[in-house]
Amino acid sequence: MADTKSGRYANSNATSGPSGSSSSTPPNISQLVQGPANLECKDFQEYLRTRQTPETLEKLYNYPPICLAVYRDLPEIARQFIIRILFVDQPVPQAVVSSWGAQRCAKEQQEATSCLTSLNVWRVTAIPGGLAAWELSPTFKKSVRQILLGGGKPWPMTNTLEKDSKPRDIAFLDSYAMSRWRCVLHYMVGTGNRNGTDAEAISPDAVRILLHANLMKRDERDGITITRQGFQFLLLDTRAQVWHFMMQYLDTCEERGISLPECLSMLFQLSFSTLGRDYSSEGMSHQMLAFLQHLREFGLVFQRKRKEGRFYPTRLALNVTSKESADATTAIVTMSASEEEERMQDRGYIVVETNYRVYAYTDSPLQVAVLGLFTELLYRFPNLVVGVLTRDSVRQALRGGITAEQIISYLEQYAHPNMKLVESAINSKSCLPPTVVDQIKLWEMERNRFTYTEGVVYNQFLSTTDFVTLRDYAQSIQVLVWQNEKTRTMVVQKNGHDDVKRYWKKYSKSAG
Amino acid sequence: MGPPKKSKKERSGGDKFAKKRRAEDEAFTQLVEMENDSNDAPEAEGVPGAASKNAEANDDNIDTDEYGAKDYRSQMQLRQDHSNRPLWVAPNGHVFLESFSPVYKHAHDFLIAISEPVCRPEHIHEYKLTAYSLYAAVSVGLQTHDIIEYLKRLSKATIPEGIIEFIRLCTLSYGKVKLVLKHNKYFIESPHPEVLQKLLKDPVIQKCRLIRNEGEEFIQGTMDGKAITQFGTKLPPTAAGAGTNPTEEAAPSSATTGADGNTAVPDDITNFYEKIDKEEEDEDEANLKTVSFEVAQEKIEVIQKRCIEIEHPLLAEYDFRNDTHNPDINIDLKPAAVLRPYQEKSLRKMFGNGRARSGVIVLPCGAGKSLVGVTACCTVRKRALVLCNSGVSVEQWKQQFKMWSTADDSMICRFTSEAKDKPMGCGILVTTYSMITHTQKRSWEAEQTMRWLQEQEWGIMVLDEVHTIPAKMFRRVLTIVQSHCKLGLTATLLREDDKIADLNFLIGPKLYEANWLELQKKGFIARVQCAEVWCPMSPEFYREYLTTRTSKKMLLYVMNPSKFRSCQFLIKYHEQRGDKTIVFSDNVFALKHYAIKMNKPFIYGPTSQNERIQIIQNFKFNAKVSTIFVSKVADTSFDLPEANVLIQISSHGGSRRQEAQRLGRILRAKKGAIAEEYNAFFYTLVSQDTMEMSYSRKRQRFLVNQGYSYKVITHLKGIDTEPDLLYGTQEEQGQLLQLVLSASDMDCEDEKMPGEPGYRAGGGGTTKRTGAISSMSGGDDAVYYEYRRKNTGSVHPLFKKFRG
Amino acid sequence: MVNVMKGVLVKCDPAMKQFLLHLDEKLSLGRKFIIQDLDENHLFISTDIVEVLQVRVDELMDRISFPLHEKNA
Repeated sequence: MADTKSGRYANSNATSGPSGSSSSTPPNISQLVQGPANLECKDFQEYLRTRQTPETLEKLYNYPPICLAVYRDLPEIARQFIIRILFVDQPVPQAVVSSWGAQRCAKEQQEATSCLTSLNVWRVTAIPGGLAAWELSPTFKKSVRQILLGGGKPWPMTNTLEKDSKPRDIAFLDSYAMSRWRCVLHYMVGTGNRNGTDAEAISPDAVRILLHANLMKRDERDGITITRQGFQFLLLDTRAQVWHFMMQYLDTCEERGISLPECLSMLFQLSFSTLGRDYSSEGMSHQMLAFLQHLREFGLVFQRKRKEGRFYPTRLALNVTSKESADATTAIVTMSASEEEERMQDRGYIVVETNYRVYAYTDSPLQVAVLGLFTELLYRFPNLVVGVLTRDSVRQALRGGITAEQIISYLEQYAHPNMKLVESAINSKSCLPPTVVDQIKLWEMERNRFTYTEGVVYNQFLSTTDFVTLRDYAQSIQVLVWQNEKTRTMVVQKNGHDDVKRYWKKYSKSAG
Repeated sequence: MGPPKKSKKERSGGDKFAKKRRAEDEAFTQLVEMENDSNDAPEAEGVPGAASKNAEANDDNIDTDEYGAKDYRSQMQLRQDHSNRPLWVAPNGHVFLESFSPVYKHAHDFLIAISEPVCRPEHIHEYKLTAYSLYAAVSVGLQTHDIIEYLKRLSKATIPEGIIEFIRLCTLSYGKVKLVLKHNKYFIESPHPEVLQKLLKDPVIQKCRLIRNEGEEFIQGTMDGKAITQFGTKLPPTAAGAGTNPTEEAAPSSATTGADGNTAVPDDITNFYEKIDKEEEDEDEANLKTVSFEVAQEKIEVIQKRCIEIEHPLLAEYDFRNDTHNPDINIDLKPAAVLRPYQEKSLRKMFGNGRARSGVIVLPCGAGKSLVGVTACCTVRKRALVLCNSGVSVEQWKQQFKMWSTADDSMICRFTSEAKDKPMGCGILVTTYSMITHTQKRSWEAEQTMRWLQEQEWGIMVLDEVHTIPAKMFRRVLTIVQSHCKLGLTATLLREDDKIADLNFLIGPKLYEANWLELQKKGFIARVQCAEVWCPMSPEFYREYLTTRTSKKMLLYVMNPSKFRSCQFLIKYHEQRGDKTIVFSDNVFALKHYAIKMNKPFIYGPTSQNERIQIIQNFKFNAKVSTIFVSKVADTSFDLPEANVLIQISSHGGSRRQEAQRLGRILRAKKGAIAEEYNAFFYTLVSQDTMEMSYSRKRQRFLVNQGYSYKVITHLKGIDTEPDLLYGTQEEQGQLLQLVLSASDMDCEDEKMPGEPGYRAGGGGTTKRTGAISSMSGGDDAVYYEYRRKNTGSVHPLFKKFRG
Repeated sequence: MVNVMKGVLVKCDPAMKQFLLHLDEKLSLGRKFIIQDLDENHLFISTDIVEVLQVRVDELMDRISFPLHEKNA
């Protein structure tokens, strides 16, 4: 019979909390045991796979811009497959498809195949003779053909426009877009309100998205405040931020009575547009006009007046689908970025020294706030902030849910151009001093010297057979976390205990 | 320093437990207490009034922004062309300099003259204006107005009012009075009679005046014009000693032209730079009428100190060219002695106006300090006295003189306990600090030499490794030796006991301090890879470490088996590469154990002079001896030029100076190694999760601020597969643990050196350490603790919210 | 028969395990908290001690670290 005790010492007096400890937040048990929830950034394919069912995917594929975006996002081989079978009107045997690639590319082929399947672009059917075959989704096929050959309804924004009497150039659009986008970020760090101007405020809809995305949360005492995911969000590059934010927007748009496929389609149309050109909003549905106003607020499009039938997409919109933004959680600055792109990204302004000093050429409240997340700030000059990375400041950030990797990639991303000229930076992938990078990681590792798993220990088995039986069972249902046959001791996960206990009862009854 | 010292003695006085308690964790808390004591102490003597008006105090009412940073934005206005100017000057006297600015060179020369470097890593350097640094600026010929004006021009923003005021306060009255030695008599001299009148109204100074005849008036005189000083062979601009651009600092005229090019240097900066640079040389061109009065030699220090207090610090200058009283000595630099740009630059600071100024020159170890010393002696060409801190060092100085100058054996007299050359008629006397200051009975011969030495009027006194010598010993030297000018040489002006301020009036201001990183880039010193190797404590050792409350903790982390294995692994690795390795251990028990187990020669206190020289010779020339173990004795006392790898297994608490000194052992530039990324290696082995980690970091601070970075190695690649490493088995480790546990208390202590608290010549190790904590853990660290405590409370505003 | 106890499995390096054993032995946290010593990397401890324990570990780490930068040198 199982003899359950809740632990020998459970009822003795627990010591009171930390006395005079320097760490300002005592770790919380659930955090220690389970690990904190982190910001999850999904790329386009992941988004489609995880948020959409096959049925809704079919709905999305009614929109040619979406299909084009999906098509462009596919692996090279998958695109080849589509082109080859696009105009074949019956299913193509799988054997035929796999014969198109060389044997050494089998792995890539396999990936392409499963990618197409998971996105519901094609599906398996049987052809006479019992062979398995691939058949493209008819909706997808129709839309892609339309893109290639033309036809169908014209895209609304392509209506002809009179020449703009005051056209806007790219430089203007870039700075407009960034200033709008910064409003959102400023709001998150709470600096927007302080300056108080109307231009800095953001709409209730935007706030709702931030709340929905868990980037901010409502707090009884302080009102709306930033969350740990919010901190992590701030450390992403702009493209990744916009993408993540827009995906969250799409989640909430149906609530506002705006159709998700329509929005997504419009978003992609914008991403295929030309920077610096103006487009027409004539003939857009009421909902799409509302969507356009949101895009205007976030800086994805520029529009002089609300009612003006003309708008300019900005680089924020154009970059939405670019591949680099996809793996932005591990953002590495692409050195080959074109000049224009560089202008878009804020110029590098942070100098990190081997003695852990940080000098930031900025007076932007947002940049200072982000820097202040993990740096101890010492002095403010008119155009320079002097700070230092200390164990305390970095640990504070780590406790706030920021990872060492995020700190490092932020510093790399905004590194001052001079940092890249240093000898050691030329030969390595990072332009930061290696010791500083190492130390930030060591500070993180220092916090992870212990891992805790809540569980139940089983010991004092009467026989090895008993032990082995129970252990093998626990293993088979994947709840075993530690075992030693010699001492006949094993530990199972907390949530596996009930199953194991039940099994043991059954087993000991039948044995007894 | 009355009160704090006393309390130190009381605390660590006779009781034995004090020593034990401090050995570990408590060391820090005690340190904090003690330093708070000294912070409360009344204003130290010998600090000029202006110094107490610390610029740091300007910060007291500064606003802080929401992140706790001091917010200077309202106090300064950014200039239109700020991107062309390289400086920010904070109201608290801290100055930040962009090293990548086209004006860097102009600004750097200027800043090094007027302020103290705080940190000089790759991109942005921090300096600090202090009363002493400004005093030094005045003494090398800069004027109040010029300092302010140039600072304004270099700065990106307006200069805070408080700083301008501070500079005025610290410089206006400086540089007007000189201390002059003429015909064996000391005089206070000034071209301003009213200043001397003012001084003589001071009762302290009155008492120092020596009146030989009743009713004596000021002595009238003239100060003569000067001639440009030339040191030996100038480095030809193209003969690149290390393949880089040596012209840069070589000649004053080329410094400004070198900055021309496509980058925008505002004209006002270039023009002013030229002006200042010239002034440095041309000052006092006209013959000035001077007045003076005589002072008693034994009162020199009193009057120097007093003059600083009343803001008229005495400049000590020696007009050696016009000294006809003392005979010239016949030495010159050999043609082969080629000065490097920074050596020449430091000497120009010393001889800038044709006279010899007293002061301190700071150069990294291995950067050729002795050549600077020898050149200074050859320039003055009067009798020279060289003081160093060991017998071996005396020999090495003699060799340096013979190598660089025309001096031969007959001109150089060594005066040590082992070598007593005949002094009469020699031009250069080389001896040790302790040799001339000790009060024990001397042999008749030594007595004669001492008498002779005291009778001489020395032209120049070179003080080697000044920072290592206790102030008390200095004072004795100064009462024994009369010398016209004093040149202090050192690698770091760091003193863990904070006595560095004393040097300002005992020797003179700092004349020059080189930038380590720059010398390294130009190949003048080796490129060192510094690494901190983390050695996990074996569970058995860590268990004992946690339990034991005594000084044995230290022995446990030094003898940690995985540290031993790491050490053995590194030695093997570098022996295979053909490197020469020195292993340092302050703890003698560990030193012997490691060395004997690995069968390597070792040197420590009791090793005889002969044996030391033999081991060093073997290390230099015998290919089979490529690793030696040394104790603290090797920190400063002798040169080991052939080594390029250094391993520290145990070190003296948190001493930043010792760390720098040890690095210096491998800094001498290695031949033909410029192509490699690193050509020297400096490993510190630390036992993980012990106090050693903290000490190690503490030690590194100075070098980190010079731009060095320490790579943390958590695992040595290949150590697990390396055969033949000792202490691999549980059993061997157990035996080692037993050995450590049965060691005596004495074994747990560091070796004591002469001059250190607790040292007793020939005595056993049972001496008490007094006041050793501050020297062990660094003397000026109270600030950090205050900060750390304060900071735990200040949280990023976002996090505050986040937690709420 | 088998004995069953709830708690938390701790995984750490051998030296840190020694630290926990030390705290347990000296009753540094006010009481014993180790339920079972499993092997050189694993301990099984009572759940309600974890928070206090982590604070003590942080303290140890605080003590052996030293700020590398100088602020007002």
